Amino acid sequence: MIGAGIKRGTAELAVLSILEDGPLHGYEMARRIEEQTKGALRFTLAALYPMLYRMEQRRWIRGSWETSDNGRRRRCYRLTPAGKKKLSPLRQEWSELFQALRRLKKVANA
Amino acid sequence: MPDWQALVRSQLDGLALKPHERAEVIEELAAHLDEVFEGARRQGFAEQDAAQRCLSEVKDWRDLRRRIQTARTMENIMTNRVKQFWLPSLLTLLLSMGLLALIQIFGPNPWMVARHSGWSLVAPVAVVYIPWLLSLPLIGAMGAYLSNRAGGSQRAVFSCIVFSVLPYLVFFLVALPVIAILDDRVAHNIMFAPLFIGLFAWVLAPGAALLAGGFLIQFFYARRLTGRRLVGN
Repeated sequence: MIGAGIKRGTAELAVLSILEDGPLHGYEMARRIEEQTKGALRFTLAALYPMLYRMEQRRWIRGSWETSDNGRRRRCYRLTPAGKKKLSPLRQEWSELFQALRRLKKVANA
Repeated sequence: MPDWQALVRSQLDGLALKPHERAEVIEELAAHLDEVFEGARRQGFAEQDAAQRCLSEVKDWRDLRRRIQTARTMENIMTNRVKQFWLPSLLTLLLSMGLLALIQIFGPNPWMVARHSGWSLVAPVAVVYIPWLLSLPLIGAMGAYLSNRAGGSQRAVFSCIVFSVLPYLVFFLVALPVIAILDDRVAHNIMFAPLFIGLFAWVLAPGAALLAGGFLIQFFYARRLTGRRLVGN
């Protein structure tokens, strides 16, 4: 099970990555992240929305209301150019961190 | 299906955003809970269990409200800090100091009370001090109310309540020892009893009075939230 501190750090990367495939609303975003990480990353409403709003303020993502076929209104988020730009160095940072951890014998054997 | 809009609206009451932004947040969170509920129902959960699953999405609505507010007004993060901490704190400090000064100027004259008794030693201070002490719960309550209303965290609210005794605490814990050490003109026959009495009279007792008022407001806020939770259920 992944600890809370690491989860917090990876959450933004997870959201940006999942939005790279196309616009999604909050619930679907949380569902796909949980599914793709096999339950290791799970976003509750309380964890997800403050983060989405913060990312929106930073202009990494943009939300807009859309109406689905069944008439339900949902706020869909999409990556902005600034978000796309942010994603690459963020991936790089995490990749470097994982590589560094793998280089540590004890962590690699864990 | 439970009315998620009503639940979210009542739990996020006091979210200090523009009305249309607030309505958007409520609609979005309610839609999310709708989806969680339907998802759980599709998985075969009974209606009550599905509703319980939705409710477990948020453990602390007050904290969520604060985090949403901070996130949505991030460009004004200093403004939030000002509204949640600095403004209530400085106001409580100003009021408590101002009241002390006003009581000294316009309060009863100490020499009118029992000149030739033991009381005459205490009276000059007591006639100023006791009315001031009695006014402090009100000031603590005001600090707690203002910080709560601005969406302050528990820590911010607590700091606002006790902020006006901090200068005295600093004086006793830092300034007085530093003066005693550095100023060689001060006679160093330190008497601890008056120091402790001073600490009690100007820090502990006023702190307790401020907290009494502040905690009362906190209690009412907590009861209001519990009431909402029950309505939501």
